Amino acid sequence: MSVSSGTTREAVIEELSRLGAIIEGIERDTLFVTVKRDVLRDVAKSLYNLGAYFRTCVGSDEIQIRGYLALYHIFSFDELGLNVVLRVDIPKLHPSVPSIVTEVPAADWCELEARDMVGIEFTYRPVKRLVLPEDWPEGIYPLRKDFSYDSRPPPKQLPRPETNKEVGLPLGPYHPALHEPEYFEIYGKGETVEDIVYRGFHVHRGIEKLAESRRVTYEDIFYLAERICGICGFVHSCCYALALEKAAGIEVPERAMYVRSVLLEIERIHSHLLWLGVVAHILGYDAGFMHTWRIREKAMVVAEILSGSRKTYGVNTVGGIRFDLDRDRIAKTLNYLKVIKEEFTEFLKILLSVPQIKSRASGTGVLPRSDARALSVVGPVARASGLYRDVRKDYPYLAYSEVSFRVPLYTEGDNLARILVRVDEVFESIEIVRQLLDKIPEGPVRAESREIPPLKKAVAAIEAPRGEDVHFIITGVGRPYRWRVRAPTYQNIPALRAMLRGTPLADAPLTIASIDPCFSCTDRVVVYDRVSGRCVRLKLTDLAGG
Amino acid sequence: MSYVKLLRVAAKVGRVTRKYPAEGSLVTEYFRGTIEIDPAMCWGCGACALACPPNSLTTKVEGDRIVIEYFIGRCIFCGRCADVCPKEAITITKNFEHASKSLEDLKYRVIHRVSRCSRCGGPVGAEEEVRNVSERAYPVKASLDLCPSCRAELLAEALAKYHPRRSR
Repeated sequence: MSVSSGTTREAVIEELSRLGAIIEGIERDTLFVTVKRDVLRDVAKSLYNLGAYFRTCVGSDEIQIRGYLALYHIFSFDELGLNVVLRVDIPKLHPSVPSIVTEVPAADWCELEARDMVGIEFTYRPVKRLVLPEDWPEGIYPLRKDFSYDSRPPPKQLPRPETNKEVGLPLGPYHPALHEPEYFEIYGKGETVEDIVYRGFHVHRGIEKLAESRRVTYEDIFYLAERICGICGFVHSCCYALALEKAAGIEVPERAMYVRSVLLEIERIHSHLLWLGVVAHILGYDAGFMHTWRIREKAMVVAEILSGSRKTYGVNTVGGIRFDLDRDRIAKTLNYLKVIKEEFTEFLKILLSVPQIKSRASGTGVLPRSDARALSVVGPVARASGLYRDVRKDYPYLAYSEVSFRVPLYTEGDNLARILVRVDEVFESIEIVRQLLDKIPEGPVRAESREIPPLKKAVAAIEAPRGEDVHFIITGVGRPYRWRVRAPTYQNIPALRAMLRGTPLADAPLTIASIDPCFSCTDRVVVYDRVSGRCVRLKLTDLAGG
Repeated sequence: MSYVKLLRVAAKVGRVTRKYPAEGSLVTEYFRGTIEIDPAMCWGCGACALACPPNSLTTKVEGDRIVIEYFIGRCIFCGRCADVCPKEAITITKNFEHASKSLEDLKYRVIHRVSRCSRCGGPVGAEEEVRNVSERAYPVKASLDLCPSCRAELLAEALAKYHPRRSR
């Protein structure tokens, strides 16, 4: 259902060749393509017009192996289940490359990130720092191979800000009690939001760099990947596993794939229920919050029964999973799921009949389909705006091709649609787990041969609760040469501008929450009244209370 | 007004929280908690320390002793140490309650005597490990009392003898 239906694999290859791109490798679901710098924009534009979504771009320092810096643009054709990885080689001395932001707006952040971390300069676009802090010294790029993972360069001296102007004094975003600081500046005219500026990456932990360092091995990265997100950690460890196993050509036994899928769905159930509770809380319906979380608790117990940990930690390993499930665990899981379904059905009727929920959520924070498409938004946000995108259907991975399920689709694009998409998905996920556990095959849970040859590339994607999670890997010796993670919120936050502009300020907390941005992040916003010039600092809950 | 029905749901469910710690915790029988090392079983080979992702298990040589230290403060309860332990000396418990006023309470040590290199006097490994390995693998017995760097040196010398030209 993308812009131009009817594209075929051959048409994509033909178009690429016509524009002078060199096809380096054709794999089942990935095309590896090399393009010259001067045709990059044309190629990106024509891929985009053919109906490709933009996934992310990856800057990589390959001076040691090929003498170039490299930039990989990853496009995806959902209908064809095909990734297109464009590689541009960039000489070390003049590391500049044309930007594709005008053609593909979704490339905005990842280009800035490549500029910060690898030192690739972009032309045809305004640039600024995105990921690195302001006082990071110029000319030092953390993801270059000559930068050691444990070095700490002395900070750059910043000029003192002029104090004769009125200056807002934020208490955040480095608030000591919040685990995930994000920072929104909302510019208002009276009660209406005029613009929104997002400043993030305060908690950039350098996980990608650590994964290249000598401290870790392929095996250790599972435990690192799990800790990327506090809610959907299993998604990241699974996606890393998929990318690694695809690059190395490791055949994972079927039973392991089933268990992984089951745990991914359990994670979706508890994540959506958590989010639904938070929405109830923001709308001032705390009784609903308590009851949603009471039901969610059972999903957490299921996770503990299946994996030994409430957060499904420590399950994956190269080529499979670390332990098998016995009958007892499966039976208990099915019982709990039955209870979750009953209780959630009963509670949902009550929740959706609360007048405030319906009236505050319908028609607010609308994301039109065209904007959703331009920004390549993912997950429930895309599906609530009428984009039929779900990695589980488009690029079937693990055991998802073995089960039948529906992908909920709404076209309204408002907050209510985003609520309903997630509500429907909870029920679908329960059914998926039931089907999977019903026909889980017997057999080993870990592949016998687990050799990982160096310098193989792969892209893997998983439908996380918040949308499509993408991992790109270049294998190395003992550990990845480059490992890039693109979490779903990375793709969805830029859509907030489109959702918020021109809407009442009072809807902002709900709309920001509606993309499910790992919620504890968004506890603080800056409200700046452009008419009176006042700067007010509020908690989201204050805003919600009126 | 159908949302008033929540009262009925609430009455049916009752209280779901528990008066912890008086009434005990809610962990299930499948929970993976801290580990226990059986000092009588442990060889001191350090495989657990190599496998431990967060470096919660470490080995170090202190004078005549090899110390395997388990620091619970860093442990992520993954249980990989138990997977790799060749002697199955590590068991995973359901214990997770470790609040303490002293950091030392979170450290657990297994101490082994160090075996010395017969050539340079450097540390080879734990005595227990060297003895057990020599019982099992007698063909390599000759070099078991040598430390890794001496072993490498002797090997290089031996190779040089067979390939005199390359050594130049």
